[in-house]
Amino acid sequence: MWQSWQRLKWWVSGGILLSLAGAVLLARLSLDEQRALFETDARIVHRLLSQQVVQHDAMLATLALLQPVPDSSSGASSPEQRLPVLYPQILSVQRRDPEQRWSDPLLTQAETRSRQVRRAALGALDLPAGRYQLVLAATPTSYALTIDARAMVPWSEWPMQADTSPVRVTLEHDGQQYVVQPGAALDDRPSRGWHFAFHKLLAAESQPFDVVATLSVGWGQLPWGLMLIWVLGVTALLATLHHLQRQRSARRRAEELLRLGQVARLNTLGELAAGMAHELNQPLTAVLANTQAAQRLLNEDPPELATARNAMLQAAAQARRAAEVVGRLRQTVERPDRSGQHQPVAAVEAVRRALYLLEPECQRRDVAPVLDAPQAVTLLADPVALDQIVHNLILNALQALEQVPAAQRQLKLTVSAQQRRGEITVADNGPGIPPEVLPRLFEPFFSTRKDGLGLGLSLCESLANGMGGSLDATNAPEGGAVFRLQLPLAEGLP
Amino acid sequence: MSAAPDTLSPTVHLIDDDQAVRDGLGLLIGTVGLRVQPWSDPQAFLGNFDREGIGAIVLDVRMPGISGLSVLDTLVAQGVDQPVIMLTGHGTVDMCRRAFKAGAAEFLEKPVNDEALLEALQNAVRQHVRSRQRNEADRAARERYAQLSEREREVLGLIVEGLTNKEIGRALGLSPRTVETHRANLFAKLQAPSLAQLIRHYAALVDADDGTAGGGGTA
Repeated sequence: MWQSWQRLKWWVSGGILLSLAGAVLLARLSLDEQRALFETDARIVHRLLSQQVVQHDAMLATLALLQPVPDSSSGASSPEQRLPVLYPQILSVQRRDPEQRWSDPLLTQAETRSRQVRRAALGALDLPAGRYQLVLAATPTSYALTIDARAMVPWSEWPMQADTSPVRVTLEHDGQQYVVQPGAALDDRPSRGWHFAFHKLLAAESQPFDVVATLSVGWGQLPWGLMLIWVLGVTALLATLHHLQRQRSARRRAEELLRLGQVARLNTLGELAAGMAHELNQPLTAVLANTQAAQRLLNEDPPELATARNAMLQAAAQARRAAEVVGRLRQTVERPDRSGQHQPVAAVEAVRRALYLLEPECQRRDVAPVLDAPQAVTLLADPVALDQIVHNLILNALQALEQVPAAQRQLKLTVSAQQRRGEITVADNGPGIPPEVLPRLFEPFFSTRKDGLGLGLSLCESLANGMGGSLDATNAPEGGAVFRLQLPLAEGLP
Repeated sequence: MSAAPDTLSPTVHLIDDDQAVRDGLGLLIGTVGLRVQPWSDPQAFLGNFDREGIGAIVLDVRMPGISGLSVLDTLVAQGVDQPVIMLTGHGTVDMCRRAFKAGAAEFLEKPVNDEALLEALQNAVRQHVRSRQRNEADRAARERYAQLSEREREVLGLIVEGLTNKEIGRALGLSPRTVETHRANLFAKLQAPSLAQLIRHYAALVDADDGTAGGGGTA
């Protein structure tokens, strides 16, 4: 019991380890995949936004190059004013004509910076609202763009579903932040789990906004379903293996026990025979010696009658001693009454048990036993004795079949019932029983096999008789031996 | 052969723990005129039996306390020359082989048939008597041979080789007359009635003597 628990412990811990390792691997693979997807999306977002802001630089440069047409100074029909119509992200275009000043001092500062760095510079910045100004210093007229970041995002090319994607995308600069895509709400974001982040400045020096993309994957987003399937699969596999192994070892044990039992029986019989031989040989030696001495004494001339008479008395006494030895032996060996052990036994089960135990023997001889049991038969028997009889009969048949070519060997077992008796027959197509052997078949110590003790069938018959049944043997008309075991049916049962 | 046993007739020691077997076999063996000395206890037998007497030993293999085979081993180890006949109730080939290897003269199964046992016993006794006689003759010859002088032994050796007196005298640097005297003396000392008898009884002794003394003589 303890041993089996120890073994089970190994199986369980092995199963847990294998499940864990597989689950971790699955989670790892899923996270890696999500990270790769996230990074690809973030890169696309960065490229799309960069393409947009670079356009602003190009617009300002074009305006600065063209400079205002001198006679259209009225302003209403200036070409730059058509830009917001073409580009929705351009909210308005301002210009500072020569000798004039910007209305907004921030624009003045930006122009000064722009002149220094020789490229566009940021003016007023209101990222939370998505607005900013971009100024390019030029001579004589400088231009400024007011840009709406919201309209700048090319949603048609956007790699994610803006309203449902868990990825948060923001533009950040100077402590301000514009949320391009909110992603999962802050409250919904898992505090524990895995956090992926992407930071990259827009590819336009004039608008150095940091594109920040973040994604949080919580425990809940791990591929639990897949992991569960894995664990269940491992458990099922291990359980099957364990079951198979146990079945195999149980069977090995049963075979071992059977073999040991046979060896032990043989040893016991050997001891018994040796003891019996000595016990009987002593008086027999005395009987023989005395009678032969008497014979010699009577043959003498003149015969020594007195001594011869005494020798004969001795011989008779020793013959009685031999008879007593036999009597004592029978008392010792006689089986105790086991009728109390009788119980209902399914005949088919007894046959199946014996076939199962003898399967290796059958395979070794290429014999495929056929079991014919058209109806359930419940016998009243001692299960151990019944098993032993069936086992012996099948083994006997297998040994007889060795004298038949392997391809022709047949072994048929039949379970049937008639009136108040159940019947198990074991039929082989071996050489059958020689007619001169048939009457002595169940005699103790009678065997046709060279190494046989001649106790197997004798024991089977006494066991069958002890259960109120019978065992008989015949030769089938088509050849081969048929052994028929009849036992009483259990009452009230089919 | 059915003469009444006397004290000088061969004795069969019968060792078996079973009284009935001892009685029956004893009676049977007695019918051929052999004296039977029964023993119920193997230890008592080993301690007390007459090792010098003529006869044989009949030993049961299976006895309480000590096995017949180990009794046999003890007898052989002690140099007992009386032949041993083993009896067993259930003899296996293996046990039989062990018994013969240990020096048993015969191995019989119980219950034993009278003719087999008696014939084995008579053979054993005859063999024992003969071996005792041979030993006795050998011992006497050795004693007489020991009385010879060095020169007489040399002469004997050459006689056994088939040399004439003249040739012996030449070989030993003696006159034929002196050789003749030695020859007469050694015939008398060895009590040999003829040359043939002399050679038969003493050739072996001379050879043995040569084997031991020859090496030293030529060195």
